Amino acid sequence: MISFISSCRSSFLIHLSQRSRLIIAAFLIAIYCLMAAGWLFPAQARVLGPEDPPDPNGPEIAATPVIPPQLKKPVMPAKPTGADLGSITWWGVCLACHGDKGQGLTDEWRELAFGEDMNCWKSKCHASNHPPEGFYLIRQVPPAIGPGTLKRFVTAVDLQHYLKEKMPWWKPGSLSEDEAWQLTAYLLRSNSLLPVGEELAIDQANFLAVHLPVRQVQDERGWQIILVGTLSLAAVGLYSLGKRTLIGRVNGSISNQNEGSARLKQPARPSFFHHLHPPSIPLPQARWRYTLGAGGLAVFFSLVVVVTGILEMFFYIPTPEQAGSSIQVISYSIPYGMLVRGLHFWAAQALVVVAVIHLLRVVLTGAFMPPRRFNYLLGLGLLVIILFLDFTGYVLRWDEGIRWALMVGTNLLKTIPVVGLALYGFVVGGEAPGLATLNRFYAWHIFGLTLFLIAVGVWHLFRVRRDGGIATPSPELRSDSRRITRDELVRREVLAMALATGGLILAATLFMPPIAPPISDPPTILTEEVRAPWFFLWIQQLLRHGGAFWMGVGIPLGALVILILLPYINKPVPDDQRGRWLPRAGRLAQIIAIGVVLAWLALTVLEMLE
Amino acid sequence: MTEDISRRSFLKLAVQGLVAISGLLALDGLRRYLSFKPAPPPPKRFEIGPESDYPPGTRLVLPEIPAVLIHDQDGYHALSLVCTHLGCVVERQVDVYACNCHGSRYDKSGKVTRGPAIHSLPVFQVERNQDGRLVILKG
Repeated sequence: MISFISSCRSSFLIHLSQRSRLIIAAFLIAIYCLMAAGWLFPAQARVLGPEDPPDPNGPEIAATPVIPPQLKKPVMPAKPTGADLGSITWWGVCLACHGDKGQGLTDEWRELAFGEDMNCWKSKCHASNHPPEGFYLIRQVPPAIGPGTLKRFVTAVDLQHYLKEKMPWWKPGSLSEDEAWQLTAYLLRSNSLLPVGEELAIDQANFLAVHLPVRQVQDERGWQIILVGTLSLAAVGLYSLGKRTLIGRVNGSISNQNEGSARLKQPARPSFFHHLHPPSIPLPQARWRYTLGAGGLAVFFSLVVVVTGILEMFFYIPTPEQAGSSIQVISYSIPYGMLVRGLHFWAAQALVVVAVIHLLRVVLTGAFMPPRRFNYLLGLGLLVIILFLDFTGYVLRWDEGIRWALMVGTNLLKTIPVVGLALYGFVVGGEAPGLATLNRFYAWHIFGLTLFLIAVGVWHLFRVRRDGGIATPSPELRSDSRRITRDELVRREVLAMALATGGLILAATLFMPPIAPPISDPPTILTEEVRAPWFFLWIQQLLRHGGAFWMGVGIPLGALVILILLPYINKPVPDDQRGRWLPRAGRLAQIIAIGVVLAWLALTVLEMLE
Repeated sequence: MTEDISRRSFLKLAVQGLVAISGLLALDGLRRYLSFKPAPPPPKRFEIGPESDYPPGTRLVLPEIPAVLIHDQDGYHALSLVCTHLGCVVERQVDVYACNCHGSRYDKSGKVTRGPAIHSLPVFQVERNQDGRLVILKG
């Protein structure tokens, strides 16, 4: 037991005591148990029950003198569900215009419901000289029940918001929160999206697509949480296994400090997989506090994005008519489709974040100077490729959410002198965004840019080894000749991967990637806020303040040029300052890089507050 | 020391087991994800219009099914035009059906006269619905 503890003492993250490690392990297990319990015993879903009766004095439509059966007030069952209550609201508020079957204001319906007043917009109640209790009636009232009628909404939440904010036509906003939910339930039930007698679970409504068959996502999310749990437990195990398998180089002979020579046996001819890592690396290079692990995480997130992207390609349809709906199919109809899309989305966002952290680390530790200057430039290239990949991927949604960002992004190209128009034609493939644009963005996203990412990424990794490893140790650590083996490197990587995968699955389970109704012409009124993707919000903010070319192209390119110039304008970092955070000789570059990142963040926050 | 090693190997085994379980869970999810069929299955019922369009003696090729509708003394029936070998559509020649892909031949009643096909062309049922329109039931 004592030897076990002492071996733990000498382990990875040496500064953590056994006790704090136990606390961390217990914490992870507790989270896991809580989540599993939450899945097994879900809190009582908030449902609409008879305790939320509709307002009896609510808006009423003057009934016609003769009442055909279609116009009678619905009879409530003994235990009315929210949808049943919604049918009363429908009868009282919506029916007159949208019809008894949700058919809309058709000729037949006008004749049945209003008889001699069937030309409602000419009758006294709905002509332009209507009395105070009347209102002027539009001629086109869309159907609300039937195939495709709810297509403009993505989820039940969208439908409820729309009802609450835009309906009824003559008095928008007069429905209460509960009435809007009951009406939503009624519409879903009438469109066969909610079984009769079942309550609409409001806390699940964000996952409830309104024009696709509703799939039970509860058990999938449960399995996802279980997967997070097994990965966390594996991470705890890997962490506890953290015994540094060190090789000390003493007098040229190799001895293993911790274990017998059995662990040292390497195969006579290393396999392909052995070549993925060096046999051993100097211990002082692999300090997490120095590298932050950001580069390694970026590689892992790239792998996740590639794998989930391939999976999405099985179902994504790159045509303007089908792209938006195929993403809804992926999200709502395909088992684990929401997870696959969520992993792709969150890994892509995380990639931007860790890439920027990695960039800051490299500048703030002076690693951007020769001999690693060239690799620094490759890394900047990777950042640009990642931003383009994220933007093209965002556009592939081809829904109302991306419409204006695509418009702005491509029109910015036109503002570039001399080559602007040619560039626009090359990117858009026409005079305006359309089928060719979507196909080109698709090709760039899944092939062109991905190829660049892999090629430059592999080059970047190659240069890491060529330039002498992850980092130069600080002077006082350079005499430390201990090395860690390939096995230990792999253990650390698997540990980081298990934690990152668990985090990604958790994010994908809890937070749905953005989705909006498919693009329609003319634009639907649902487009309430026009937002660039978050990593370009800073450009959107800049564009509010000046000429499109300088704000949208000039300044972003200028920022990139400044970052490229950093290793050329900074004075050389002497050898004895290498391997530390914030070396004195790197002040200029440090201030500029922090300034650029802070400006980026500030502009982003400003735009979010607009 | 023995205790130490057994502890280590236990931990290792646990980690390997957990990683394997995670992998199996992910694989099952992958299987479910990929088994989704986005395209609806092809229709099994074809309404082909009123009976009067098909007087006795009719032998009409209906390419959308594809089948040939036959109205003879036994009433209505339809002969599939999909080669039973590997699914190409056979061509109707004067009184035989020939597959251009691999050379199978069928006689007038759909029986194989030359390989490589082994099975005869299947016969589809033809029904009359309430409105007196003919419906071909495939499979």
